[in-house]
Amino acid sequence: MSATLGHILRRAARSLWENLSLNAVAAGVIAAALLLGGAFWGAMSTLNDAVEVWERDVHLSAYFASGVDEARQRAVLAEVQAMPEVEAVTWVTATDARAYLEERVPDIQPILVELGEDAVPASLEITLRARYIGDETLSDFVTRLQRAEFEELDYGKEWVERLTAFLGLLKALGAALGTLLVMAAVFLVGNTMHLVTYARRAELETMKLVGATLQFIAAPFLIEGAVQGLIGALLAIGALSGLKAVLLGRIQELVPLGQAPLADGSLGLSTVLGLLTVGVLLGVVGCGSAVLRFWRQAP
Amino acid sequence: MIRLYHVSKSYGSAQVLHDVTFRLSKGEFAYLTGASGAGKSTLLKLLYGAEAPTSGKLLVGGVDASKLGPARLPLLRRNLGVIFQDFKLIPNRTVFDNVGLALEVIGAERREISRRVNAVLNVVGLGGKGERRPLDLSGGEQQRVAIARAIVNDPAVLLADEPTGNLDGAMAVEVMEILLSINLRGTTVLIATHDIGLMERFPHRRLRLNAGRMSE
Repeated sequence: MSATLGHILRRAARSLWENLSLNAVAAGVIAAALLLGGAFWGAMSTLNDAVEVWERDVHLSAYFASGVDEARQRAVLAEVQAMPEVEAVTWVTATDARAYLEERVPDIQPILVELGEDAVPASLEITLRARYIGDETLSDFVTRLQRAEFEELDYGKEWVERLTAFLGLLKALGAALGTLLVMAAVFLVGNTMHLVTYARRAELETMKLVGATLQFIAAPFLIEGAVQGLIGALLAIGALSGLKAVLLGRIQELVPLGQAPLADGSLGLSTVLGLLTVGVLLGVVGCGSAVLRFWRQAP
Repeated sequence: MIRLYHVSKSYGSAQVLHDVTFRLSKGEFAYLTGASGAGKSTLLKLLYGAEAPTSGKLLVGGVDASKLGPARLPLLRRNLGVIFQDFKLIPNRTVFDNVGLALEVIGAERREISRRVNAVLNVVGLGGKGERRPLDLSGGEQQRVAIARAIVNDPAVLLADEPTGNLDGAMAVEVMEILLSINLRGTTVLIATHDIGLMERFPHRRLRLNAGRMSE
């Protein structure tokens, strides 16, 4: 048994070395397949993360109608604070809001003077508890929040909903494209491995004719496939990290994707492990199917 | 050691072997003769499991080769030595590796492989040429590498398909002498050939195939 294992390992090492160019092509094909799949999956999960951040960020601004005095505003504040959905409420008086606006947009001061004291309304800035951010609970909360004292309720939910719907469509398209990518990868890897076995058919045929078992012939190929897959996955991980650091950094500069650190260049342990696993599996399955095909055809 | 009962083989509508029945005992030496296309190579292929008979039964070393599944095929071949007409040597392996392959597949230890390969290379007159590649050798030497690989396992049965077909007279005699010496050690030998001169020089039992039908 140990002698057989020794032969298998020696043959795998020798074959990897002697068929360096073919093995490099196979590893390259696996890397390309993983890079395509990984980039696609990464883009989808980044968008998903961004939407989650945006959803968590949803808060409401409830603007008081003019004429509601501060005592009444304070009373409404207390009522809102008592609502179970509310995480925090900040009362922004008309004076504070005006000062904030003047500070942020200095050029607006003449317009505010023109409009008079009631130009900027007081408001309550409401942050919801995370578990109440779902579509139905939020609508329900907004209905219960409606009061005569409020002139307008403003929250950025609508565009998040539209974005979520768009992302749902994108996910469906992604699933179809992802399936196609996986099929293309398996096809490419399988055919590359078929070429590898074809180049060595004389050796494999002779081995079968002198009494080698399928396991004996296939084992070094499976090891080769695993090594090709591992190298392909490492190449893909390197390329994806670079892509993520460069491209997402640029994208985040152009479009703010929320507070999540999206462009730190690292893929995360689960992604790295996933790519390594898929790479090794692609190599092993590709090599295994090619050897099996050879075994069935050889005399 | 080899028994065939009413074996026939067809490829589509072309029948290559018709109701072939014969028996070779342990330690026997026999020629399988016939003109080109008579079915000699097909019969050998049936014996080493590269083809399955269309009908009939064949036993090789007690194994029913007519009902052999892919999983059990290696077991048959490990008890057989086969010398192929085109040698089937691996060109990018050394002579030593080519011969040692038959031992590698049965899981022999490296030291054992080394001992037996060197011994058998001496038997076929290739001592000292273990590190050469097949393409660096003459046709006769390549034939002897193929013989060495076929006998390194001490098989119970040795099958040879035209083992002297590509060799000149002197070389053919040398190869025949090697095969006879193997037979003297108790190995059953069946040689497919149409070299009448050789059969007359080394007379043994002849199994004649004529258009797929056997006679003696």
